[in-house]
Amino acid sequence: MLKLAIKSLANRKTSALLTVIAIAVSVALLLAVERVKEQVQANFANTVSGTDLIVGPRSGDVQLLLASVFHIGALNNSMSWQSYERLSQNRQVEWSVPISLGDSVSGMPVVATTAGYFQHFKYANQQPLKLQHGEWFNHSEQAVLGADAAEKLAFNVGDQLIIAHGTGGISFSQHSGHPIDVVGVLKRTGTPVDQSVYVDLETLEDIHSGTPDANADDKSHHSHDEHADHHHPTNAISAALIGLKSRQMALFMQRDINTADGEPLTALMPGQTLQQLWKTLRVFQQALNGISAIVVIIGLLGMLTILLASLRERSREMAVLRAVGAGPGTLFTLLVTEAVLLTIIATASGLALLYILQISLAGVIQQQTGLLFALQWPTAAEWWRMLFVVVAGFLMSLVPAWRAYRQSLADGLTVKV
Amino acid sequence: MAYAIEIDHLAFAWQGGQLTLDIPHWQVETGESVLLRGPSGSGKSTLLSLLAGVNLAQQGNVSLLDQSLSNLSGRKRDRFRADHIGYIFQQFNLLPYLSALDNVLLATQFSPKRRQRVAESGQSAEQLAIQYLQRLGLSASQQQQAAANLSVGQQQRVAAARALLGAPELLIADEPTSALDSDRRDDFIKLLLELSEQNNTTVLFVTHDASLGQYFNRHVELSDINRAAGGSPHA
Ligand SMILES: Nc1ncnc2c1ncn2[C@@H]1O[C@H](COP(=O)(O)OP(=O)(O)OP(=O)(O)O)[C@@H](O)[C@H]1O
Ligand SMILES: [Mg+2]
Repeated sequence: MLKLAIKSLANRKTSALLTVIAIAVSVALLLAVERVKEQVQANFANTVSGTDLIVGPRSGDVQLLLASVFHIGALNNSMSWQSYERLSQNRQVEWSVPISLGDSVSGMPVVATTAGYFQHFKYANQQPLKLQHGEWFNHSEQAVLGADAAEKLAFNVGDQLIIAHGTGGISFSQHSGHPIDVVGVLKRTGTPVDQSVYVDLETLEDIHSGTPDANADDKSHHSHDEHADHHHPTNAISAALIGLKSRQMALFMQRDINTADGEPLTALMPGQTLQQLWKTLRVFQQALNGISAIVVIIGLLGMLTILLASLRERSREMAVLRAVGAGPGTLFTLLVTEAVLLTIIATASGLALLYILQISLAGVIQQQTGLLFALQWPTAAEWWRMLFVVVAGFLMSLVPAWRAYRQSLADGLTVKV
Repeated sequence: MAYAIEIDHLAFAWQGGQLTLDIPHWQVETGESVLLRGPSGSGKSTLLSLLAGVNLAQQGNVSLLDQSLSNLSGRKRDRFRADHIGYIFQQFNLLPYLSALDNVLLATQFSPKRRQRVAESGQSAEQLAIQYLQRLGLSASQQQQAAANLSVGQQQRVAAARALLGAPELLIADEPTSALDSDRRDDFIKLLLELSEQNNTTVLFVTHDASLGQYFNRHVELSDINRAAGGSPHA
């Protein structure tokens, strides 16, 4: 039966091939949506580890997390240095690292921090940052580059860079006259760390307290407006990363900070906030899923159309099989086998296509977004999706199979050539 | 089992039309070889389709091997036809994408009864099929050719081999020689009858060519048994 189905399909190579391609592409799309979601979540989850709390000016949790760790979006306010100091002296706090954002080097975000950053910041499974070349900075006028930043800026240890005010790719106001030495390049982490330029907090203070730019025009004013409250970094920072003596205390600390009198602050637990983010993105994710499911259904409908159309020209074939004793049930099975075979081949090709795309695009994606797409076996969710496609293909095949079942023997045998 | 074919008060008309067939009574004995002749459009193929249970008579009864076809369900008629009747269609009805040999083997693929009879002969279906095809004049390489690539005469012989494989009780042949030259045609008929005799198969051979009568036990004119005025006006 299988042999017959295969030979019959081979006889209709072109339409079979087109069907397979249409379904394969749609399957690849369906799987890609899931894979991108999964890898993005894994990448995000990998970005912070070992940081129990992130504290910053009063804002949305998600906004604070995205701005402080992922350099996505900006914070409208800042947090005073006094608040930071008070926080770092809290009994529960084991370590704290201040960070100040808002500047850039040719579009690469500048993170002004202290040497403590390299000591305490962890990613993935409690991985510490490591140097590829050079050393950590130990005073102002020095910078350490993430792997991608070093690559994109084509800077290496010993080079000098100039920090621009604002985060845009185009620098409206250069802090010229303040060249900074690159003293180290970090090993690749597969996180936003790779994109960043690290300088000492004092560096920024020095730069910003320098004489205002002579060539500041309208545009630069506009750019300044976006960061209206850009205080001197030592007076104010963007956020603080905090490690606690006991993780269990995170929830209490978070509540304490969020409800404390004085300067309004927001404290968040990174893992929890990510979950919150995914929850808000779920609708979007589901919409994508829905669309790709529809694309798959359209692909399968294409197969249905082709199968139904081929039934006409194949009425003779069906009749011959019935004439030699194949019952209607056999024909039914034959057509279902054929369609399921097509769907399985198409699904496998779709999966292969996904891997090919992933392998060939991984480099570009990493460069553009910093996301590292790991090659891995299909996940359970992906297997479910493929099963969904095959089952849908099976269900669709019931239509032509039923038609063939009903088509009378005489119809086929009296076809005259 | 006196009669291979027995027809009683049969009446058949194609959809809404006038009667094509009206046969009060006709029978073919077991083991007989009968030539049924009639002009084109006289209803020969129609009669055969009734015998094979492809179409059903509006009235009367058709019995094959003492089994009344009208009493069988569609599925059982399929089974009965596959098991007991070798049918060479006027249009051969081969599967174009299968090899000649695989086309012949289709005969046993769906009929346990035919497989059983092949097994009783002590040979495998494939051996027997190859043997038939060889005797019908298809070389080993031709046997592996897709049916679509065979000449019409070769296709006809493949159809014959398929009808004969598994020794059905009744062979129905609908003008299988139309594409053959007269020498080939005579050889083919002799071979067909010889193989049938070996298998103890009753043969009903339909043609409009009266000159073939010599090879058969009996020669019947359709117009002699059919009272219907229908049939082709240009006959
Ligand atoms: N499927 C059909 N539907 C309607 N009418 C049909 C059908 N098949 C045959 N007929 C009609 O039945 C009559 C007999 O046709 P049939 O095919 O039985 O003739 P035949 O004797 O086999 O002719 P030939 O020698 O040309 O094969 C013809 O008038 C034809 O028009
Ligand atoms: Mg005919």
